[in-house]
Amino acid sequence: MLTTADVAAAEAEELRQSRSWLRGLLVPKVLFGLAIVVFFLLLAFAGPLIDHTSPDTTSAAALRAPSLGHWLGTTQQGQDVLAQVIYGARISMEVGLGAGVLTTLWSVLVGLTGGYIAGVGSELLSMFSNVFLVLPSLPLVVILAAYLPNSGSTGVILVITATGWAWGARVLRAQTLSLRRRDFVEAARATGESSFKIMLYDILPNELAIIAATFLASVVGAILTEASIAFLGLSNVTQWSWGTILYWAQVSGAELARAWWWFVPPGLCIALVGTGLAFINFGIDDVINPRLRSAGPATLTRRDRLRLRLRSRPTAEGARTAADPAAPAEHDHGNERVPVLALRHLSVEYGGNQVPVRAVSDVTLTLHRGEVLGIAGESGSGKSTLARAVTRLLRPPASITGGEMIYTTRSGRQLDITGLSDAELRKFRWEEISIVFQSAMNALNPVLTLGAQMDDVLHAHRPQMKKVERAARTRELLQLVGISPDRAGAYPHELSGGMRQRAMIAMGLALDPEIIVMDEPTTALDVVIQRQVIETIGRLKDRLGFSVIFITHDLSLLIELCDTIAIMYAGQIVELAPAEQLYRHPQHPYSQGLLGSFPTLTGPRRTLTGVPGYPPDLRRRPPGCQFQPRCPQAFDACTEAIPLLTRREDADVACFLYDEATVGDNHG
Amino acid sequence: MRMLARRLFFYLVTAWAAITLNFILPRLMPGNPAQGLIERFNGRLSPGAVHAIEILFGQPHTSLLSQYFSYWGNMLTLNFGTSYAFYPSPVAQVIKQSIFWTLVLIGLCTIIGFVIGTLLGMFVGWRRGGWRDALVPMTTFLSSLPYFWFALMAILVFAVTLGWFPSSGGYGIGVEIGPTWPFISSAIYYGFLPALTVVVASVGGWLLGMRNMMITTLNEDYVLLAEAKGLSRLRVMFTYAGRNAVLPSVAGFAMSLGFVVGGAIVTEIVFNYPGIGTVLFQAAKGQDYPLLEAIFLTITIAVLLANLFADLAYIALDPRTREA
Repeated sequence: MLTTADVAAAEAEELRQSRSWLRGLLVPKVLFGLAIVVFFLLLAFAGPLIDHTSPDTTSAAALRAPSLGHWLGTTQQGQDVLAQVIYGARISMEVGLGAGVLTTLWSVLVGLTGGYIAGVGSELLSMFSNVFLVLPSLPLVVILAAYLPNSGSTGVILVITATGWAWGARVLRAQTLSLRRRDFVEAARATGESSFKIMLYDILPNELAIIAATFLASVVGAILTEASIAFLGLSNVTQWSWGTILYWAQVSGAELARAWWWFVPPGLCIALVGTGLAFINFGIDDVINPRLRSAGPATLTRRDRLRLRLRSRPTAEGARTAADPAAPAEHDHGNERVPVLALRHLSVEYGGNQVPVRAVSDVTLTLHRGEVLGIAGESGSGKSTLARAVTRLLRPPASITGGEMIYTTRSGRQLDITGLSDAELRKFRWEEISIVFQSAMNALNPVLTLGAQMDDVLHAHRPQMKKVERAARTRELLQLVGISPDRAGAYPHELSGGMRQRAMIAMGLALDPEIIVMDEPTTALDVVIQRQVIETIGRLKDRLGFSVIFITHDLSLLIELCDTIAIMYAGQIVELAPAEQLYRHPQHPYSQGLLGSFPTLTGPRRTLTGVPGYPPDLRRRPPGCQFQPRCPQAFDACTEAIPLLTRREDADVACFLYDEATVGDNHG
Repeated sequence: MRMLARRLFFYLVTAWAAITLNFILPRLMPGNPAQGLIERFNGRLSPGAVHAIEILFGQPHTSLLSQYFSYWGNMLTLNFGTSYAFYPSPVAQVIKQSIFWTLVLIGLCTIIGFVIGTLLGMFVGWRRGGWRDALVPMTTFLSSLPYFWFALMAILVFAVTLGWFPSSGGYGIGVEIGPTWPFISSAIYYGFLPALTVVVASVGGWLLGMRNMMITTLNEDYVLLAEAKGLSRLRVMFTYAGRNAVLPSVAGFAMSLGFVVGGAIVTEIVFNYPGIGTVLFQAAKGQDYPLLEAIFLTITIAVLLANLFADLAYIALDPRTREA
């Protein structure tokens, strides 16, 4: 049920969005585009008033190159090209804007109606626009213009509108279809508002950005089409437009006479207006589709490259051996717990233009061979960023800004993952650490078969393997996770959700890696399938002996599955403890809260409490302990300093409650 | 193959719409195009030819419905009437002579432009920053230039100033048309500049579209996973990112194709190329309605066929469309 409060909230959200898109438009490229367009508009409307030379006046000075008298030279009849370009701007801009307005109006009408009404009418309108979209517009324009000879710019505007509206109508229809299902429209309909009013007040304002983009694109299209029509001599050739100038230049063989000044300026004017409008559109595009602004995987700033070069030096000199005194001595009291990955003071920051935001802050953590290490935390706690950092998959603006990640191979060789060069990293990946993502649907390439996606790992890392051997290995891997080997030829969309996730795990095992990072591998699955996947992981781990970093917000799952659990909050580890201990005796108030917010699958019943409040905004961190604003047990010391991880009862806890000095103060 | 069947049906509807548009337009227009046309022939037409024109552009004293049926009869027998601009050649013959040139030139250039533009767009989208970012405003500027302006520039630079290529025509004077090497080499030599013009002018549009899709695709998990798998950079770029990013370009081929073909047709005129564009220009100048309508229909059908091929390519590229 929708309450008025919901509707109001939705409306407020829409308003906020529309305001932010206006702000998003105040960027250099849009301003640059606007400057060009405004210049040409001024030229079109005020130019003839300033330059009094008539574009028609002929003179004996035929085909003169640009000079002080004729800035852009003269035509074959001795007419001034500059005057023609200035006068021509008027018709070109007039046709462009006129056709742009009419085209947009018609597109909005067809698109909005077609998207809003349902059923046969909508389908017919859609078919109508699609037919016009496919019909080649130029020949159609030529026919229409031939039937309406010498009809002047009004005729040209009508012809362009008749042939150029379909693209906008299609885009707007799609947008309307998606808006129609949104809550605030449903709510308006529930109150019995008329369709016309809903379209006008609820849908139209939310399409302004797209309508603006359609309008600008139509203007560009119209100016180009006008130029083509005029160039073909189909409009009134005695009326100056940029296209008419080109028509006369071509008819008089200007290009053969090398009179470049005659046809270069009008062409450049058309292209400049087009570029200006396109730049404004880029700005709108960025607002509609924010992904366009993000950087690609291979995008590195010069600073990043420099740092990577500096980093890679120690490994280039030869990896440290286990005997290296700098290597962490983590042999736990004669116990055979051998560290395989040791994170030391790892920090990750999101750079960008503003102040860098620290998503992972000074994390020190050790994963042992064969161990399952769980990392739990709310969304935004930095746990997924940590997973991406370990696999070196961070994309700009995120980057590792400090610390090291020491990896120990089976032979005891140690290397710092943060310092690997591109080539070293490619070899290291999957061979040593593989990763399983949350949504297998998104993580599998939709256009390749399962087999092909497993095969290319083997192909890249085991070039000596023959095709038959790779195929055999693929089948073996699928069998390992309980998928029939003949599904190797299936595409991701042909598999069920659970199967896809198990296929991902099979893929992760392809090279017998030491570590598998699992980033919320079961979150997108229902409980039964979740169980299957967890059982598969447990069974394979016992059999193959790899280590797992398991990331989830589901603490109860971790308690069942893991040897050790790290609790993350605001980019820091606040508690690191054996699973059993964390379950029986959580020490950090946040861990206590988290445990209280999930029912366990096995184990005694207890009241669910949860953690009230929200994680801090990482751009405005609270003073002292990050959890302190939400902590039921906070006291004065908590706002003064950040507690460090300290050993207590087989666990590491970052909380002043267990710090004798501060607690003593408090209780004293 | 339900998708293919749906597309085929749609193309049939579009072809029907094009033919019907041809039927309606002269009947909607002010004045009497049929009568005007017949008068302009100055009695040079046989009674049969006059009748054909009336069927095509409006028969007096006949119901619209029966006119429509007669019209379809003419369409199905490829009877498009007599050309005014190329009197006394029948329209069908004029088209037959010119369509081959256009199909080869524009067909090849469209494919070459698409491939080059898409590849460039892939590279530009893959790695951002530095000189590659300057490519976007540059290509935007280039793609805002009219095709025929490029043609004028190409003639000025390569034909007139440098003298490397001829400035007009489709083959050398005195060369016999036929499947012989002298003719083919001459046709390639004459076709080079028009081809260059169309390719250069069309590359920008494909490039920008592909770049944007590439950037969107690079954020997909499967690209990240491909990277995590330690695959070579080229493999990630082509098979994971590029292969998926190209799909919307192929799906949107229809819309872009109309634009490219339009531009290419005007390019032919500048080069006085013996293709259908130059014929269209003559027809438009002489208000040769029979020829104009037949050209519109021919180009439409060619574009629809090209779209059908694009659909087949899409089905080959995206397994999700192969569902029963």
